[in-house]
Amino acid sequence: MFHRKKSLWLFLLPGLIGLMIFYVIPFFGGIYFSMTDGTINNQLVGIVNYKELWQNEVFQLGLKNTLELSLLCAPTIFVLSFVLSAMLRSLKDKSLSFRNILVLPYLMPTSALLLIWLLLFDYGGVINRIVSSMGLKRVLWLESAALRVPIVLMYVWKNVGFSVVIFSAALQAIPEAYYEFASLEGANPLQKELKITLPQILPTAFLVFVLAWVNAFKIFKEIYFIGGAYPHDAVYTLQHFMNNKFAALDYQDVTAAAYSFAVIVLVLFGVLYMSRAVRTNDV
Amino acid sequence: MKKYHLRPGRLLCYLLLIAVCAFVLLPIVMTFAYSFFPQSEIKSYLGMRSNYKEDAFMPFLLSPARFSLRQYYTILIETPKYLNLFVNSVKYTAAILLGQLLIIPMTAYALSRFRFHGRDLLFFCVLTLMLLPFQVTMAPSVITMRTLHLMDTVWAVILPMIFSPFYIFLLRQFMIGLPNELLEAGMIDGAGTVRCFIHVVIPVCRPILGAFIALSFADCWNMVEQPLIYLSRRQSAMPLSVLFNQISTENSEIAFAGAALYILPALLIYSYFQEDILLGIQLSELK
Repeated sequence: MFHRKKSLWLFLLPGLIGLMIFYVIPFFGGIYFSMTDGTINNQLVGIVNYKELWQNEVFQLGLKNTLELSLLCAPTIFVLSFVLSAMLRSLKDKSLSFRNILVLPYLMPTSALLLIWLLLFDYGGVINRIVSSMGLKRVLWLESAALRVPIVLMYVWKNVGFSVVIFSAALQAIPEAYYEFASLEGANPLQKELKITLPQILPTAFLVFVLAWVNAFKIFKEIYFIGGAYPHDAVYTLQHFMNNKFAALDYQDVTAAAYSFAVIVLVLFGVLYMSRAVRTNDV
Repeated sequence: MKKYHLRPGRLLCYLLLIAVCAFVLLPIVMTFAYSFFPQSEIKSYLGMRSNYKEDAFMPFLLSPARFSLRQYYTILIETPKYLNLFVNSVKYTAAILLGQLLIIPMTAYALSRFRFHGRDLLFFCVLTLMLLPFQVTMAPSVITMRTLHLMDTVWAVILPMIFSPFYIFLLRQFMIGLPNELLEAGMIDGAGTVRCFIHVVIPVCRPILGAFIALSFADCWNMVEQPLIYLSRRQSAMPLSVLFNQISTENSEIAFAGAALYILPALLIYSYFQEDILLGIQLSELK
């Protein structure tokens, strides 16, 4: 650890200036902006924008959908990636190629593969073939509220590998001796998972869940490509609302929506996680 | 010795993982396979979509009537629009990655290896910014871009991404895990902070740098939200990620060759850095 070195500024300053100009100052400046009326005089009007925004039904719809979609995706990714990593661990070094394949979709551009998904979920597509062969009625996957299913599937397909990589790293860090000792003591596999694996990977599990959740708020691309700027009501996200408000040059609503969302997110988990991370990483 | 790994259980693991991986690879393999179909076949196949008659199912195309490179020829030689957008995407990605490689390792080094007033506060800021959803940072940033007269210029897309808080966090977590002896050895040999950075820290950070390049490449190559907002009045400067969907709808006969070419750079980056992605994340303290 270096103390009182002048060269600190050489390393810190470029990043610090960039963070300040493009993230920190806008964040605080925007709070002021969200409380002005947006006319030429730009008078301060307090929380009027927020009051109007929260009564706006389109905003409510976007916020509700974004939260619901993220709550469909994040737990799915969390559970699936844990199960996959546990399976991969039991295969030891033979798991490498599986892990490599699982992370591949994370690098794939969304719009390039969209057409394949559209083919699979078409009314006459493979998925509906399976559905009707099970004796059920075909589903309008792309034209109705059922669009949520392909959206969630596409999102999980793309992002589960990244969580698997983080989980696998944590699982590999658990000393094998713990499990061998537990076997000697007569523990069954389930007991081992609950009593050894779970407590050992808890901090990582927390990170995986938080990252999966924050990323799931971003679900937008797939919906935008399928439904454009005004998709079905079941998948109209907060990002749609903000893009459309932005196109209408309604910056006050855009910023007010942003901060409303920020408050919700931060209350949900931010403060708790960050205070802990700063403490545990203090060297 | 290890009764825990019973054979039937292991076999089941293999089968399940093979099934999952097959599903993961399916869309990618199908895209490449369809890119070698003749244009007429693809066009008529895609034209069969959205048929709501109750007895009509789409056939499942497995092999082309005849193997054809015509899609590639059309998209590379006859359709300049696709290539222009592809070049736009390359430019954005290269500019952002270059900027990030210059700035982010230095910032992470300062945040992990120096002790100074306000360091924890600054790291707290980086963490908060990382956890804020894109929608939240985007809105105030738009106002800044307007103030700086950068709206509808390529810089509005490039500059904020160069200082991406997530990658500062990722590299900082790796660097903070480096043993102190490593740097002390460098200092005993007479190296200052700069020489330590270039000759000691950067070489041992190779896996996380690889992971960072691959993940950041994926972000840039696939960015949609940023150009939609920041370049809304500059359609000609849009990257492929935003407009590919439009091309593949309008010219469905070349959609799969376009998609395959679009995927190709991502595949190359992936195959070059795949070990780093696993190793880099494994070695950094992500807790």
